[in-house]
Amino acid sequence: MRGRRVFVTGLGFVSPHGEDPAAIFERLFLGESAIRTVRTGTPEMGADVLLASIDFEPGDRIGKADRLLMARAAQLAVVATRNALEDSGLMAHGRGPEEAAVYMGCGLGGAEILQESYRTYSARQSRRVRPTTIPLIMASGPASQVSMSFGIRGPAHTYSIACASSSVAIGEAFRSIRDGYIDVVLAGGAEAMLNDGSVAAWQGLGVLAKEHADGAGASCRPFDLERTGLVLGEGAATLILESEDRAMARGAHLLVEIVGFGASSDAHKLTEPSVDGQERAIRNALEDAGLTAEDVGYINVHATGTPTGDPVEIEAIKRAFGPAAQAVAISSTKSMHGHLVGASGALECGITALALDKRRIPPTANLTVADPACDLDCVPGVGRDAPDLEVALSNSFAFGGSNATLVLRRA
Amino acid sequence: MTPYAFLAEVLSEKYDVDPTSISPEATLTELGLDSLTVVELLFDVEDEFEIEIPEERATFETLAEAAALVEELLRAKGA
Repeated sequence: MRGRRVFVTGLGFVSPHGEDPAAIFERLFLGESAIRTVRTGTPEMGADVLLASIDFEPGDRIGKADRLLMARAAQLAVVATRNALEDSGLMAHGRGPEEAAVYMGCGLGGAEILQESYRTYSARQSRRVRPTTIPLIMASGPASQVSMSFGIRGPAHTYSIACASSSVAIGEAFRSIRDGYIDVVLAGGAEAMLNDGSVAAWQGLGVLAKEHADGAGASCRPFDLERTGLVLGEGAATLILESEDRAMARGAHLLVEIVGFGASSDAHKLTEPSVDGQERAIRNALEDAGLTAEDVGYINVHATGTPTGDPVEIEAIKRAFGPAAQAVAISSTKSMHGHLVGASGALECGITALALDKRRIPPTANLTVADPACDLDCVPGVGRDAPDLEVALSNSFAFGGSNATLVLRRA
Repeated sequence: MTPYAFLAEVLSEKYDVDPTSISPEATLTELGLDSLTVVELLFDVEDEFEIEIPEERATFETLAEAAALVEELLRAKGA
């Protein structure tokens, strides 16, 4: 253990399962999927796609004029951060703590705005592309808009590391506080790339799940023999990270402690994961936390439900944990909320925090017949109580071979 | 819809401007628009009336002046 202790004192979600953390956790615990079949694209070239999309309505939480300058990802980030600030008790007259920092993860930025600009340029053969296009498509839009919306005047940083974006944002926030650079960080991520152009590109990659005979909700099946791929989701999650001193001084509710962060790169392939890189991220995180594998009771895994990816993570856990791998409970909540890409790590870190707080482990939904290559305790079907749960990990592994593991402990 | 009526409607509906502050004499700056949102508003006007506002003509300040420019461009288009 080095430096200052860091606690999560607030949690805010805009997720496929809704916005209320307790209600979201309850639905996940019961194994309820938010994945559905959505008609996407134009009438001439549309497609039915499995998505964990959100019927998002900012209402009066973002003014109409402000919305004009925010892509969907930024709007999701602002509302999730509002929820987190309110949860933490740090919101005063619509403003957050001025001295705070914002560390946000985002993969693509304003994907739907980019699509519209190219549609104007190419399909309509027009150079009249709207002036708000550039400032809206920036991947840094969510962080900037959070800063502006709540008067946050410390650094506003964006981490764009594909599927590991927001885990790294939280990890770097943890380090910044632990090492004394800053006292409070609004850390999380946002992603909204369910516009038809982006979805078509994902389809081209050949990694999306096919609809299962039991329906849309049964289609994302990490570790199951019948798994066919991942399901894209969208949303945002923000965690308020505070130094122990600051949190204690104001009598904040301590949800969970962040005690370690490990990152690594595969230096291998663009879309093919490596056991070695993932193993090193897990080992680095445990070493950073000053803990051993035997201390860990639960891992919220990255596993997206692709045939190739899931066994790699299982093998990485086995190598990093040794014999302790047989005792740890692991689950992929992506089976229910889909893969939120740049927001994935923050949502799953938040779910892991709730699991520790409630001492209840959410399940891997749709896991009926386990792949023999995925032979750890994957908590199939429904959640379970874990009265001794003290420490948990949250894994996020990205295209490009960037790996991130966060270590959380009960507060 | 007249150009002025359109401006008044889009300012209140899309740009969230208080309708009671909208008048022919009001300037876009007074109504809270900045350089970026003014250009966005010009795009709305061009789309609505199917005209192009030449950059050098976009020098108006008040809503009445903006509406007069649109009317002039509409007359030129019809001629």
